[in-house]
Amino acid sequence: MIEADPWRRFDPNGWQSHHVVHLHRRAAFRATWQEIERDTRDGPDASVTRLLEGRSQLGVPERFDYVSKALGKHAVSRGDVRNLQAWWIYRMLAGADPLRERLALTWHDHFATSQLKVRDLKVMHQQNEVLRSQALAPFSTLLEKVAKDPALLLWLDAETNRAGHPNENLAREIMELFTLGIGNFTEHDVKEAARALTGWTVRDREFVDLDIRHDAGDKMILGEKGPWRGDDLLRLLLDNPATSQRIAARLCEEFLGSGVADDAAIRALAAGLRQHDFEIRWAVETILRSQLFYAEGARNRRVVGPAEFVIGAIRALEFRKPMPRTALLADALSRMGLALFRPPNVGGWNGGEEWLSARALVARTNFVCGLISGEATGRGPLDALSLVQRHANKSDLEGCLDFFATLLFGKPMVASERDQIANGVMASKPDEMAREVVALLLASPAAHIS
Amino acid sequence: MLTRRSFMQSSSLGAIATAMPGMRRAVHWSLPRKDRVLVVVELDGGNDGINTVVPFADEGYAKARKKLFLNPNSLLKIDDSIGFNANLEPFMELLQGGQLSVVQGVAYPNPDLSHFRSRAIYHSARLRAEDHVGIGWLGRSLDARTKQHPKTSHALFVGGGAPPIALRGYRAPASSLESVSDFTLIDSPPVMRGQGQPKARNLEDLVRQNLRRADETSRRLQQLVEATKTDTPYPDAPIGQRLELIARLLRAGYEAPIFYTSHGGFDTHANQLVTHGNLLNQLATSISTFLADMKKASVGREITVLVFSEFGRTVAENGSAGTDHGTAGTMFVAGPAVAAGVYGTTPSMTDLRNGRLRVHVDFRQVYTDVLNWMGMSVDGPLGGRFEPVGVMRS
Repeated sequence: MIEADPWRRFDPNGWQSHHVVHLHRRAAFRATWQEIERDTRDGPDASVTRLLEGRSQLGVPERFDYVSKALGKHAVSRGDVRNLQAWWIYRMLAGADPLRERLALTWHDHFATSQLKVRDLKVMHQQNEVLRSQALAPFSTLLEKVAKDPALLLWLDAETNRAGHPNENLAREIMELFTLGIGNFTEHDVKEAARALTGWTVRDREFVDLDIRHDAGDKMILGEKGPWRGDDLLRLLLDNPATSQRIAARLCEEFLGSGVADDAAIRALAAGLRQHDFEIRWAVETILRSQLFYAEGARNRRVVGPAEFVIGAIRALEFRKPMPRTALLADALSRMGLALFRPPNVGGWNGGEEWLSARALVARTNFVCGLISGEATGRGPLDALSLVQRHANKSDLEGCLDFFATLLFGKPMVASERDQIANGVMASKPDEMAREVVALLLASPAAHIS
Repeated sequence: MLTRRSFMQSSSLGAIATAMPGMRRAVHWSLPRKDRVLVVVELDGGNDGINTVVPFADEGYAKARKKLFLNPNSLLKIDDSIGFNANLEPFMELLQGGQLSVVQGVAYPNPDLSHFRSRAIYHSARLRAEDHVGIGWLGRSLDARTKQHPKTSHALFVGGGAPPIALRGYRAPASSLESVSDFTLIDSPPVMRGQGQPKARNLEDLVRQNLRRADETSRRLQQLVEATKTDTPYPDAPIGQRLELIARLLRAGYEAPIFYTSHGGFDTHANQLVTHGNLLNQLATSISTFLADMKKASVGREITVLVFSEFGRTVAENGSAGTDHGTAGTMFVAGPAVAAGVYGTTPSMTDLRNGRLRVHVDFRQVYTDVLNWMGMSVDGPLGGRFEPVGVMRS
């Protein structure tokens, strides 16, 4: 009997606008009405390709690259992590490549490095650019670049790992967190890996490999003996199937939520990664084009993270002229548990249901209220009514309910749900009424899952 | 602008109405044993027990520790073989005042050197990885009473992030806060009002459940904390501020039986000496301030503070004047209810196992003492029975 391919493609004939909304909630920061119309028309192939090629977002400011560079530079010179957080949020909000920004965040979590210890925004900024530029690269390339990244080496005390004085921190976390995962190596492997990594350190914010500090003796790592150096260690780790398995599982978790891809699907994805040169792009594409990704049973199985929640709402509602004050958004994310550049520890953010703590939900609810009133953006109240008028040519309650439910969740609500929201709307003036509909929808349980 | 009433009457996509803080009937938080409170302090990163309670008479000490060597003359001697790090003066006073138990040589069989694995073991009180399912020893102990007292079995984590695994149960809710302002709802918040406690069948139900919990926590905190302020000066360090917040909550009558907080920065792989000394000083000063404050406040509840870390550190220092992940460490139990003294066995620095400190006390033995004192069952939370160490008076 032939086993069905867990990653078989989604049938383009079934493509509808709610699929588009789903795709952009999972792989971007939501879609605007125009983007939904465009992708519904163009079908899944073109829509996913556009995301992968970093040209899915409409309305990118002409001077985006220039402004982004200037903001990044400004943040580093100011030395305040909040400015760097604001810079990244600007990129998520205004840039053309939301999938890449989301993956950069995934890798920031995977290779969690905190400014709290590194205390150097310049290298934190550099690391973030590496995570972004390599976000869809072969994982082998990403791993090597990050393992030799100055911020990460400072974070994991590489400086102090020298021949005769091994410091196990870097070796342990490379094995436990970045590649194999716990249970796939021994304490002896950690010791030997630390020896292989001796000599790796940072000088003038650059990676260097100092022969004089390197322990040139033989090391036995994962059952293989040799005079291994750092690069050999990375190769040994990449060759071990536990690594591809772990990366495949991580990507499934990121795009599908937990428990949606079964073991067979993860194994198949891991095998594919090995066959495709470890290309993250291949794995992401496989997931985003799959039947599984769009299946009914795979919906609402993933907790929406703080960045998607905040940036997605602003993007879908086209609140971009003037641009919200991104430093305020950065503070909102921190209150929701996502302090960018300051992960809680080397393991990164726990994510999933942990995004739904009481404090985080209070912060999310406050953000929604602040978004419509203007307090969260620093730019005045949200003009929700003109959005409905422009795109749906309606301005009554009924029209608002249908339009915003479709924009945010892909479908109009069923009658009972719609009545309940409608009953919550107190305002009689159309502009206030439209704002209230938005708030009620964004504060509902459906907004926290996708 | 939305009004309170609008959220009250509205609902979200789910079939449940929403409610505002303060609009619902007050919840009564009575406890079967409201006179006892446990405050757990986790030393995050792995505390170097050797330089905390120093075995100065052990010949191995000076051999293993060079840059991290603490001169015996500087120590606060407990007896003729061990002494507190000089930064632990407030602990010395607590010990002499009958309010501190020190348990030496604590870990579990075959200690794991991964932060995550070892933390999971301490939090779940289960050794096997397959038993690490995100449920903790305190969460389980609260689960047992949630059945009878659904409103009272609440634990609070004070610190950044979500409640730790230790506090999580299948039924018992745990909340977290860093400061009260985190829970101030700036405008009418939509939160769920359901019929009874909704059972989490799927993710959407879970969100609904958590929204209701958030509302409740927010509302109660506002009511309770606004009125209280202590005039006792606490240390500025985060651990001091967190214990102060717990003190304010207790003064306000917040009836959670368990509070949990953490003191971070103990993963001292490099340049440990000064960092570690400061951390210990912050810990001891904060705890002794907290206990004195609570005594003065006479909140009518007996308070016990339990201090643990996921592991100790290596016997020898590494090449960067730091220490790597090790095995046995020290636990502290403080408060008016303890039978003060030193318990367990200080691990030898020469008679080692696999080059690391031997373990003499299972941490679940200390947990047993604490659970017994709280009047909670032991078997479920700890997955078995363990000989208590005897650190509590009753």
